[in-house]
Amino acid sequence: MDENIPDEVLEIFTQDGVLLTTAPAAYIPYINTVGTLSIVEYPNSNLTRCVEWKPIDVTIDSDMQDQEWQVVNTIAKRHRSLSGNFPVEVGHRSKYLKINMNEIKSFRVTTKNQKLAFRDGKGDCICTFVFQHGNCDGLVAVLKGIHKTVVSRRDKHLYCIADDIKNPERQQLDKSFAELNLFQEHSSDYVWKFVKNFQNRPYETTMEAFSKITDIVYRSPDHRLLDNEVNDILNRSLEAIEGNTTTHSHDEYEVVAHVPKLPERKDYPRGRPLSLEQWKALQDHDGQVEDIDAVKLVIFRGGISPNVRKEVWKYLLDYHKWDYANNEQQNLIKQRNEEYFIMKLQWRSMTKIQEDNFTDYRERKSLIEKDVNRTDRVMDYFAGENNPNLQVLFDILMTYAMYNFDLGYVQGMSDLLSPILYLMDNEVEAFWCFVGFMNKVCSNFDVDQAGMKEQLQHLQTLTAFIDPEFSNYLYKHDSANMFFCFRWLLVWFKRELSQQDVMRLWEVLWTGLPCQNFHLLICVAILDTEKNILMENNYGFTEILKHINDLSGNIDISAIISKAEGMYNQIIAAEHLTDSVRFIIGLPMLGNAIIDSKEASPDLSDLAPCSTNGEVDEASYESAISNSFL
Amino acid sequence: MSARVNMRPANKNTLLKVVILGDGGVGKSCLMNRFVSNHFDEHSFHTIGVEFLNKDIEIDNENYTLQIWDTAGQERFKTLRTPFYRGSDICMLTYAIDDKSSFRNMNMWKNEFLYYADIKENTYFPFIVVGNKSDVLVEEREVSQLELETWCNENGIASCIETSAKSASNVQEAFKMAVQHWLRAEIRADRTECTYSDTVDLNKKQSDSRSSCCTGASED
Repeated sequence: MDENIPDEVLEIFTQDGVLLTTAPAAYIPYINTVGTLSIVEYPNSNLTRCVEWKPIDVTIDSDMQDQEWQVVNTIAKRHRSLSGNFPVEVGHRSKYLKINMNEIKSFRVTTKNQKLAFRDGKGDCICTFVFQHGNCDGLVAVLKGIHKTVVSRRDKHLYCIADDIKNPERQQLDKSFAELNLFQEHSSDYVWKFVKNFQNRPYETTMEAFSKITDIVYRSPDHRLLDNEVNDILNRSLEAIEGNTTTHSHDEYEVVAHVPKLPERKDYPRGRPLSLEQWKALQDHDGQVEDIDAVKLVIFRGGISPNVRKEVWKYLLDYHKWDYANNEQQNLIKQRNEEYFIMKLQWRSMTKIQEDNFTDYRERKSLIEKDVNRTDRVMDYFAGENNPNLQVLFDILMTYAMYNFDLGYVQGMSDLLSPILYLMDNEVEAFWCFVGFMNKVCSNFDVDQAGMKEQLQHLQTLTAFIDPEFSNYLYKHDSANMFFCFRWLLVWFKRELSQQDVMRLWEVLWTGLPCQNFHLLICVAILDTEKNILMENNYGFTEILKHINDLSGNIDISAIISKAEGMYNQIIAAEHLTDSVRFIIGLPMLGNAIIDSKEASPDLSDLAPCSTNGEVDEASYESAISNSFL
Repeated sequence: MSARVNMRPANKNTLLKVVILGDGGVGKSCLMNRFVSNHFDEHSFHTIGVEFLNKDIEIDNENYTLQIWDTAGQERFKTLRTPFYRGSDICMLTYAIDDKSSFRNMNMWKNEFLYYADIKENTYFPFIVVGNKSDVLVEEREVSQLELETWCNENGIASCIETSAKSASNVQEAFKMAVQHWLRAEIRADRTECTYSDTVDLNKKQSDSRSSCCTGASED
């Protein structure tokens, strides 16, 4: 609450309709007044960041007092405004309730995320706000973007703020946390490093840091997994805190070696594959498929019978449109046929001189040639010298390189094409189905491999949530980067399964059921089957890599799909389901974790085909509506 | 790494990490499989991700376990391949003698290796150059033995050999040569370095230091 008014102000976040319910003495007259809550930054001042609240009449005309109208109007215009969207009246700022961010050490969110109380370092309440329009999720998300926050283990509504991320004092600590990240290869002793930093840190910042430690300990379900020495240090530090602080800290910070358990895993037996009769019955007289969800559900449960697989794959891979009548479908096929041969002609008509002068093209062609010669040659379909199907495989990959010149050809693509070509046994159909598959997995082939890295990271997050003990084991054995699953992810288990099994798995995954990224749960399910061997033998990174590579050909895919479905249902029923997990499986987030928002939006829009998600979406939508008019 | 020879108890295996690098399709996996299991499959899959195999060999009455690392050759997978270079004892640079561009790319592979393997500057690292597919017809050959030797001389690499994983020609010899070459480099390192650490820090941080044991390396 600084009276010094600097001239440059940057608004980071603003929300209207915020009622002040508890306030410092000077602001008692404003209690129960509606106002606007902002987070602002003063770049030219030592205040740096503040939470500010101003009564409504400072900015909003008195004729805007009609509550309902105001709700609609202000939410539409100003909810979650960013800096620069509207002018800031510097002159009035002295009247604002202003709390320096440095004073805020925790905040507690209650009453369906509508009430938020800021607390100081002693745990005393500075002020409390009630969010009349919607909830405080937006504010919480911004706060979490600015500060490291950790949910107190004792009180799930309490968020403890660690020091500012940019604060140099924290860098040591951050560094040790960075080691939890992927591809930082020294994570084995992260607890140790953390404890060392922790010991060196001044007492003033210990408490926030400690809440982080509880988070790590919380990830270790079993005390035995932590070295005794580390345990001792943690416990001693806990005692020190207990002895030196008010009772708040005792309540709010505690080493808890207990992990919230997932609900019990249920059995999800596999169903029967979609039969030709079922398929015919689901199409109307004009060939349109009306109940797409029903088709996908049957496929998810049991796959597709071989005698109708070829037909249905064309729909799953977007070559045919579910809602097209026969004549529309025929037109589309004709059009795509022409398109294919235009693209094929583009590279077929390349002259020798052109090729000689085009290194990239030449290299691309040469790699495709080499890989086609070593793709599924044990299968009858591709076996033998001068097998014409190899030429088709080559032609499709070359044409795809013309279709998607930026991506070109990347190793692994021939693996994805091979089963499709085998099934379609038709160049044009196989090409367009391959295009459909590539559209689903093209991020696997990013130039910088960002898509693969992200998946490995997501896999690690899921493993940590579903099986903290195993995840902890991987951390301690330099394997938390999950690299050993690289091949599984790149070509969707193509190298691990027989042709029949891989076709079954792919059609199940293409349904998008029961959630997005279900293939990651397949990984977790396989790892779950293998983890006892890995842990009993105390395998390190190289042994794990070898074991996983050698699993090829020994995976019971039906059992794995069942288990993965069981895991999915465990996750969504878990009370402690985190936003990072929700993000991965495509559930709407609750604002408990900051995730790159530009990535979040497309993923959330992908929810449509997923019925379970649809329900959740609707529920959260309903609660949002009711919150707005309380 | 130099300490390993001295640390090794008598009659125990010395574990050597060998990384095979080279363009896609030159036969890295085939060399490895021929060496480890004396098996050749012309149509074996191209490698995805990273694989490795162990093989025990005896050279001059000493036992060695070679841990041979084989990676995907395409440029695209560079970021996921390079972390495995660290801690290597031997690097086998490979090309196919019927593929000139794979020969030209050895420069790139060598530099990539030196950069990511965290080789200290001005230290000698045991590279061995292997020209695979020596079984191809004379008219298909694109890289002559002379070109190979010239390149090695220019790059300060003392060991090179032409092999054929297909016909099993020189494959055992290539790996044996690699180990012998490693031994000589160890002895040389012991002579030049009076002091060295007794422990191998497998977790040591990757530094930006580029090594340049090569002299007069051309860009192409």
